[in-house]
Amino acid sequence: MHHVVLERWSQGASVMHRRDPRAKIAALMVFLVVLATAHRSLPAFGLALLLLLSAALIWARLPLFSALARAAIVLPFSLVFAAVCWLSGDPGRGFALLLKSYLSALAVLLVVATTPFPALLRGLEMSGAPRFLLMVAQFLYRYLFVISEEAQHMTKAAASRGATVRGFMAGARFRAAAGALAVLFARSYGRAEDIHRSMRARGFLGRFQPFTALRFRGGDAVFTLFASLAPVLLRAAVERGV
Amino acid sequence: MHIPDGFLSTPVWATMDVAAAPAVGYIVRRAQRGFDDSRVPLLGVMGAFVFAAQMINFPVGIGTTSHLVGGALLAYTLGPAAASVVMCAIIAIQALVFQDGGILAMGANLINMALVGVLAGYLPFYLWGGGRWRKLAIFAGGAFSLLASAVLALAELLVSGVPMPASVLGVSLALFMVSALLEGAITLAVIQALETIQPGFVRKPETGRSFALGAIGLAAVLLAAVGVLAASTAPDGIEKLGLQTGIASHVRSLVTTPLTGYQVAFFQAGWLRKASAGLAGLALIYGACLLIGRAVARKRSA
Repeated sequence: MHHVVLERWSQGASVMHRRDPRAKIAALMVFLVVLATAHRSLPAFGLALLLLLSAALIWARLPLFSALARAAIVLPFSLVFAAVCWLSGDPGRGFALLLKSYLSALAVLLVVATTPFPALLRGLEMSGAPRFLLMVAQFLYRYLFVISEEAQHMTKAAASRGATVRGFMAGARFRAAAGALAVLFARSYGRAEDIHRSMRARGFLGRFQPFTALRFRGGDAVFTLFASLAPVLLRAAVERGV
Repeated sequence: MHIPDGFLSTPVWATMDVAAAPAVGYIVRRAQRGFDDSRVPLLGVMGAFVFAAQMINFPVGIGTTSHLVGGALLAYTLGPAAASVVMCAIIAIQALVFQDGGILAMGANLINMALVGVLAGYLPFYLWGGGRWRKLAIFAGGAFSLLASAVLALAELLVSGVPMPASVLGVSLALFMVSALLEGAITLAVIQALETIQPGFVRKPETGRSFALGAIGLAAVLLAAVGVLAASTAPDGIEKLGLQTGIASHVRSLVTTPLTGYQVAFFQAGWLRKASAGLAGLALIYGACLLIGRAVARKRSA
């Protein structure tokens, strides 16, 4: 599954991995804003940013090509709109949509693949995002796998009982699927209550206690400065040069 | 429809982000009020359920299947505020982990799906969920929730200048309509199945409370949807109107005025000036939100 690979990638030990999550979040925001507001000489600027991100991926010792392929997950959606743009006589905008959505996804992937998810959420929390929401997100991420597996088991079981046979009455199948979802809901709810009880029994009072505090060091400040300046300078250079 | 980065124009995503930050903050507080803090696992696990629910396919015709989106279902079971928080967490995880939906566009996605989508889905249930029209209200909620998010997303794309010929717009609206009806049907079927398993899962809306307010809200949402559709079929008309009344220039000066004085001399390039002004604006808004949030939190704990 997608997030298992990400989880493995984020456990690396490169310089990029060791940076404070807040430094990476700040640099990501600058990158995204600089990219989103670019309008002139996009092909050259896009190529420059692609090279920048590729260099960062190599620097973080991540597999370059599978990362590039993974970010292409946005392309089907963008391609539809790019085709519409092209058909309505605005191929430039279509190209911009493809380029911007792909590069933005790649930049996000770079940050997420070099930051373990709990650290990323802590970075977001220290940047002011609501803690309650982030805790919900953390539980969601933790049980995503568990509940998805349960759903897979249920669909497999239903298929083995003939739920996918063609010609079977659609109405009955529809009701059966609704019943399966209701059972999955009830099981998830029950599981959540069990989790809650056992966490309470272990002394959970509504917030996580992190073992180590995040520390924003000099290296992080330097990283933030350079990583934020890079896209800005690239854009200035590209637009000056044309 | 999770909008990726690069689709929305800067004024659109910036406005949506600025609007989403306090709205999400408010809804999180609201959810916390009704929820014991230590019950946070429930919301997380139900979020995971919504993800997993996409694996269970519903047959809806020859060879095609559909799946639950879940905003309305969560609102009927966990309550609207908690459901909104769960949807916010889902959208954040989709954007961060699955690269489905953008980061700058997250404000727009949050408003479309987690805030407006969930609340629009809850409204019919809130108004008529206790009476004779219960089934219809549940069905309408599911359909309404999906339709509201889809129309909002389309409108944001249109306002951003993504060209959509009338035919494409018509086809996508028709598709959204069909998926909205399916979402309504699936939501109703699942709620009925849930009530057979254990009636306590589904909330009982209090009857006869602030009916007028709800009706006004519903009318407002409907009006907005109709207005958006009307506007999107004639986007040039709106633009012309804006130019004629001078709204566009007013808005522009309103946006740039606070920061025009800070244009640094060595920033010769126009975009650099704009981008730095934009970044500074974002930083200012972020700082203001942070300070207000801290102040409110302190006041509450004091």
